[in-house]
Amino acid sequence: MKVEFTPEQEALRSELRAYFDELMTPELAAECDRDMGEGGGPLWREALLKMGKDGWIGVGWPKELGGRGMSPIEQFIFVEEIMRAGYPFPFLTTESVGPQLAEHGNEWQKKNIVPKILTGECLIAIGYSEPGAGTDLARLKTTAVKDGDEWVINGQKMWTSLAHFCDYVWLACRTEENEAKPHRGISMFLVPTSDPGWSATPVNTLGGVRTNATYYDNIRVSDDAMVGELNGGWKLITGQLNRERLSLVNCGPTQHLFNMVVKWAQQTDLPQGGKLIDQDWVQMNLAKVRAGVEALKLVCYKQAWAMSEGALEMADASAAKVYGSEFFIEVYRALGEVIGQFSTVSRHSDNAQELAAKIERMYRTASIITFGGGTNEIQRDIISAAGLWMPRAAR
Amino acid sequence: MNFGFSEEQRDVQNLARSILSDLVSPEKLKPTDRYENERFDEELWGKLAEAGLLGVAIDEAHGGMGFGFMELSLLVEEAGRTIAPVPVIPALVSAALPLQKFGSDEQKARLLPGVASGKSLLTAALMEEQNENPAAPLLTKASKQGEGYTVSGVKLCVPFAHRAERILLSAQTDQGVVALLVDPKASGVTLNAMKVTTYEPQFELVLDKVAVAAEDVLAGPDKGAEVMQWLSERTMAALCAHQVGTTDVAMRMTASYTAERKQFGVPVATFQAVGHRAANCFIDVECLRLNTYQAVSRLSGGLNATNEVQIAKIWAGDVGHRVSYASQHLHGGMGIDRDYPLWRYCTWMRHNEMMLGSSAKTLSDLGKRIAAGEAFCS
Repeated sequence: MKVEFTPEQEALRSELRAYFDELMTPELAAECDRDMGEGGGPLWREALLKMGKDGWIGVGWPKELGGRGMSPIEQFIFVEEIMRAGYPFPFLTTESVGPQLAEHGNEWQKKNIVPKILTGECLIAIGYSEPGAGTDLARLKTTAVKDGDEWVINGQKMWTSLAHFCDYVWLACRTEENEAKPHRGISMFLVPTSDPGWSATPVNTLGGVRTNATYYDNIRVSDDAMVGELNGGWKLITGQLNRERLSLVNCGPTQHLFNMVVKWAQQTDLPQGGKLIDQDWVQMNLAKVRAGVEALKLVCYKQAWAMSEGALEMADASAAKVYGSEFFIEVYRALGEVIGQFSTVSRHSDNAQELAAKIERMYRTASIITFGGGTNEIQRDIISAAGLWMPRAAR
Repeated sequence: MNFGFSEEQRDVQNLARSILSDLVSPEKLKPTDRYENERFDEELWGKLAEAGLLGVAIDEAHGGMGFGFMELSLLVEEAGRTIAPVPVIPALVSAALPLQKFGSDEQKARLLPGVASGKSLLTAALMEEQNENPAAPLLTKASKQGEGYTVSGVKLCVPFAHRAERILLSAQTDQGVVALLVDPKASGVTLNAMKVTTYEPQFELVLDKVAVAAEDVLAGPDKGAEVMQWLSERTMAALCAHQVGTTDVAMRMTASYTAERKQFGVPVATFQAVGHRAANCFIDVECLRLNTYQAVSRLSGGLNATNEVQIAKIWAGDVGHRVSYASQHLHGGMGIDRDYPLWRYCTWMRHNEMMLGSSAKTLSDLGKRIAAGEAFCS
């Protein structure tokens, strides 16, 4: 048991922090801000390619797959630092779908997709939810039907975030009707968004972030596009979600935001004299955030370590996701309270303040991941069953 | 970074768990309820000594195993799992560790072997009325008397003071804080029993011009506050480790009970409202465990850990409170029935929550450090 980083890990972190300080030019930061923290712009793409070329995207990946051969802990340090820097990193592609493809993908995918993920040339969106299948995902209706050598895909997906600038959708399709065990009739496909049968319409959300409804109209793909085994999609979905859950609650941005608010409160004068941070209630709010973010950091690090040992527990991944997603909401509230009413002033306002506007928007986007990535009710079901061996209700 | 235990650490954990689970049971604790008998199991203390566990963090030169604070904390966590009726924290953490770190060779040779062998006890008096910071005593004063001191004042909630060979405590002098080892049998010492809900033997310690010889001065005014801060952080971390044990057991007891207990023809654990409250406990206990291990790991490695200890203590208070009430509630009436084992855990969760500063107090302390620029995220 040694919870601290090794000197090598500390050195890697310093190197990455310096690297991203340089990479995040004011122009890139402005573009990312314009794109609502989602990325997809030209400078954003350029930076992603540079990171790929510099060998960072796959720092914790095995060398034979094009990575640097370090462990998941180093990979986590990389993701923490990039997210801390405010770069909208496409972690769904690199940290969740990518590893699933590396493990379960076919030869074509390992040759054509995986290397491009590590060079930053391939982006993949997730296609699970449908208008009638959300939490009960196994009831999904998008179909893939075999026709000669090809699969014909038809259906509609909801909340296909980032799809409007991704190259592929990691798509869950029904390949067999199985009324009693619907999750056993699902297969995974990589569907190109360049196909004429593919389309997307935007869904605009409270936080200003765009997501999509996506449509699949007689899209024809070969066997190369199928990931894993026929009707074996469910374990790929759960495996991907376990990895996604860890990335969703990365502690880097919150640690950075906390530090910025502390510095701001230390410097900000009160009209009656003294500094904002002199007030007891401000200190209490900040202390609550500080104690909470420390737990988040450790929950994440422990899982990065568990991955490096090949022992990621389902209950722990769900616990991280529930804790992190609900903590973020409290963070934005508590830090917003420190900022005061300016934390309701939009960044489009003439007299906007950068930090206040940042928190204003984060407060509006915070609810997404309490239900996204597998709603927290289901996560708590997983925790009580897998972590505490409590029996589950029949559904 | 490594969240796994070393082989030695697993050995300590397994040894402690096997002795404690053999010798501590609700049946054995019951006679000590309501102060009907003293809550101290001498046989258990002897067995822990025989196994070498009382000296787990005491140097081999003084009869110990020579491991560190991490290994000692694992023993404390196991004591928490059984709420064992033995003074692991006061004797082994609050008193023996600072003695070993800051004591003279003579003091160590005189006092540590007895602790490791179980033949004598040490304890520490860390609390004064309305003052939970032993590094800044306000109600205990000492003045120089030859090479030693004369000390007067009142300390509260001193565990096992009646059995201690020496009581480690701090006092204010004109030159600064001193750390003294007081003999409870010395002239001018009065022990008044205090009845606390854990039934741990605790005392009000009244000192009236008590003479402390030079050989019993652990630290003079140049170093006393540092010594007390050092032991205070380790004691806080140990309370957190104890809380990891108590909360984990209370939570798992609740999970088992609700899996068995049926209503409407099904186990109550299958109700989502029940499962979710238990899941919240699981998240809480994991957050407490990781923050505790971090604090302990840093202290073991000799790193600065003031922020990490405070954060762990905040979690220990909050998680103890929440797990205690969730466990009681999910058990229905059983949780508060004194014939069922949960209730004793609840009083200990409260003890760990309140000792050396509640969550509110510790949040306020951390907040001051944040304002002073001493607690940025790295």
